[in-house]
Amino acid sequence: MRKRMRLAALLAAVALVAAACGSAAEDTTTTTTTTEQDTTTTSAGVEVGGPVVIEAAESISALFLPKCTNIPVFPQANSGAEEAAAELGSDPASFVGPADCGDSTGQIEFMANAVTQGVGAIMVSNNAGDELAPSAQAAADAGIPVVSWDSPIPSAEGESVFVAQVDFDDTGVVMADMALEILGAGGGEFAILSATPEAANQNAWIAAMESALVEDDKYADLVLVDTVFGNDVAEDSVTQALALADQYPNLGLIMAPTTVGIVAAAQAMTQEGLCDQVKVSGLGLPDEMREYSLSGCAPVFALWDFVDLGYLTYYVAYGIATGQIEAAEGVVFEAGRMGMYTITADPTRDSGLRVLMGPFTVYTVDNIGG
Amino acid sequence: MKVSPATGMNRGSGRLRRMKPERVKELTLIGIISLSVVTFGFLIENYLSGRFFNRVITSVVIVGILAAGQALVIITRNIDLSVGSATGVAAYLTGDFLAANTSTGPLVAAVIAILVGSTLGAFNGLLVAYGRIPAIIVTLGTLALFRTMLSLYSGGQNITADTLPDWVLQFNQVTVVSFGDFDIRLVSLVAVLTGLGLHWALARLRWGRRLYAIGSNPEAAKQAGLPEQRLVFWAFVGSGAFAGLAGFMFMARIGTISATAGAGLELESVAAAVVGGVSIFGGAGTILGALLGASLIKTLELSLVRLPQVSEFWRDAVLGILILVGVLIDLALQRRLSRRPIAAARSDSGSSPPVTVGEHSRASEGAPDE
Repeated sequence: MRKRMRLAALLAAVALVAAACGSAAEDTTTTTTTTEQDTTTTSAGVEVGGPVVIEAAESISALFLPKCTNIPVFPQANSGAEEAAAELGSDPASFVGPADCGDSTGQIEFMANAVTQGVGAIMVSNNAGDELAPSAQAAADAGIPVVSWDSPIPSAEGESVFVAQVDFDDTGVVMADMALEILGAGGGEFAILSATPEAANQNAWIAAMESALVEDDKYADLVLVDTVFGNDVAEDSVTQALALADQYPNLGLIMAPTTVGIVAAAQAMTQEGLCDQVKVSGLGLPDEMREYSLSGCAPVFALWDFVDLGYLTYYVAYGIATGQIEAAEGVVFEAGRMGMYTITADPTRDSGLRVLMGPFTVYTVDNIGG
Repeated sequence: MKVSPATGMNRGSGRLRRMKPERVKELTLIGIISLSVVTFGFLIENYLSGRFFNRVITSVVIVGILAAGQALVIITRNIDLSVGSATGVAAYLTGDFLAANTSTGPLVAAVIAILVGSTLGAFNGLLVAYGRIPAIIVTLGTLALFRTMLSLYSGGQNITADTLPDWVLQFNQVTVVSFGDFDIRLVSLVAVLTGLGLHWALARLRWGRRLYAIGSNPEAAKQAGLPEQRLVFWAFVGSGAFAGLAGFMFMARIGTISATAGAGLELESVAAAVVGGVSIFGGAGTILGALLGASLIKTLELSLVRLPQVSEFWRDAVLGILILVGVLIDLALQRRLSRRPIAAARSDSGSSPPVTVGEHSRASEGAPDE
């Protein structure tokens, strides 16, 4: 979106005004979203008498909507969804979305199109905060279940259930533990390099980490000095990482809970010869981080399996779309090779339901391979 | 008869008056850059250091190279909006080749990248020069086309750092000579020397001066018998070649190459050229100016990143303001000059690169030899 604004700035003088209005408008829409949906999703609590085994029924059409198509984790998740669709004898979901993860509101259009086409289910990794909620509500009104995965809709408005990769509070603890491991018992300064300011999962993890830091005394000497945003764009993330290293001479660690940010930060420290002073950690893809793990620049980082996440998400969406399970608290179901899961209230949001996948894999030089 | 916009300022005193208008613009830019560095030095802690100098000169490399290529095209009264995508394609394909042939050295890799970029540039050039389609339409199309082809080719897979030869990740760090904390990096030297080479060629060689003639007054140039189509074609090939070189630099800087590599660089390159005094109306401006424009933009960007009070949206707005100011200054100059008698324009323009009335007749004399 910003890129398009720059184009406008070049072509017409009005663009400046547009840019200013754009940012202001975004700020207000995120703060004025409603919380009226609190009760709708947690209402039933249906006792369904034992686990439901989700099985092949009719074939459904579905949309598997990533934050963007060009970050490897999303095609990975889609391959899991395809695997599940094949097992259930359903057509593979269409895997389309914005090309650029910096395009935070591009998903809205894809949602609207899917509703118009009348798909059987929408699976979305939300990149637009609550700006996506009206589109999700429109889908729900049309009888289309919206299953979020990877990143939920903060207000849960229009969302059937969120398939969480890991517990967001656990993410905070895992990140705090990795920071402690790198900075040592003596502590030190660290900074967070996030994706976009609107990314709900990033914000939840950062908040979880901040509360983990104050809850346990062993983290008392870890000092979070700054949080910056690299927009999940490599060049921006490199710039931000280097700016952090320059701004804080005592910085010992950059924590990046984004696969784009962590690898950009590791490369930035590597090419400027700063790895001895500033380590990098966070959530990263083993393939992309191997180089920096082996070099010692990123001694420890974590992630979950995105193929499994896509697989489980498809099972949940299919189960709801075919009426085999209901999106309600207490429903227990079996999702193919991954086994039993329970739908619960989401403890990390004010409202909404959650299926928790887990667990984390923590990568070090010992299990990175290479 | 149209007079080139930058044929001189008739007011201003003494030495400034006799100075070529390009020099005045270049010196002004150097002044603005120095002024902003000093100002930010007061505002930001740990700002003025060798480190910051190294940051700017390494991060300006990619945009600087692109701005030089962009200036080449803009001088002919065209524009190349596809350079960001061309940079991405060159970076990805070169990375792909290196991953398969890890014994390849930097020079061969750079040549491959430049060839890829030139090919894409030739495609643009054919459509603009021989197809007679406006450059903004052609390159807006290829901006999307090149990117889409790259997305399809990559299948969402990134090229990861561990598959590239070892020299790639260290390439940005190669230092030719150091003065204390201040490094002269190889990448910066390559960018500056390439830019100055082009600068010299445009000012001194016949084809360079003819590019100015075409941009200054396409009709007159055509009637004077200049091979207008061929020159415009090669200008686009040149811009593509520079995008290829930028792609090589991008690969070395970022290490992990995704299908979104280089997205958005097209507008930064246009901005750098315009801010650097290259007239968007064609026929005037220098490569040195474009390089300085890129330096100013990067200095501001890297500085504003470190001012927490300045939000991300405003950083983009600053870029937009700079472009507009650049264009407005240009327009003002042009209007003022067009009111002047032609004889005056001729007498103080001397042998400066922008083609004036005298230059046209000289060019037409040379044409039959071709």
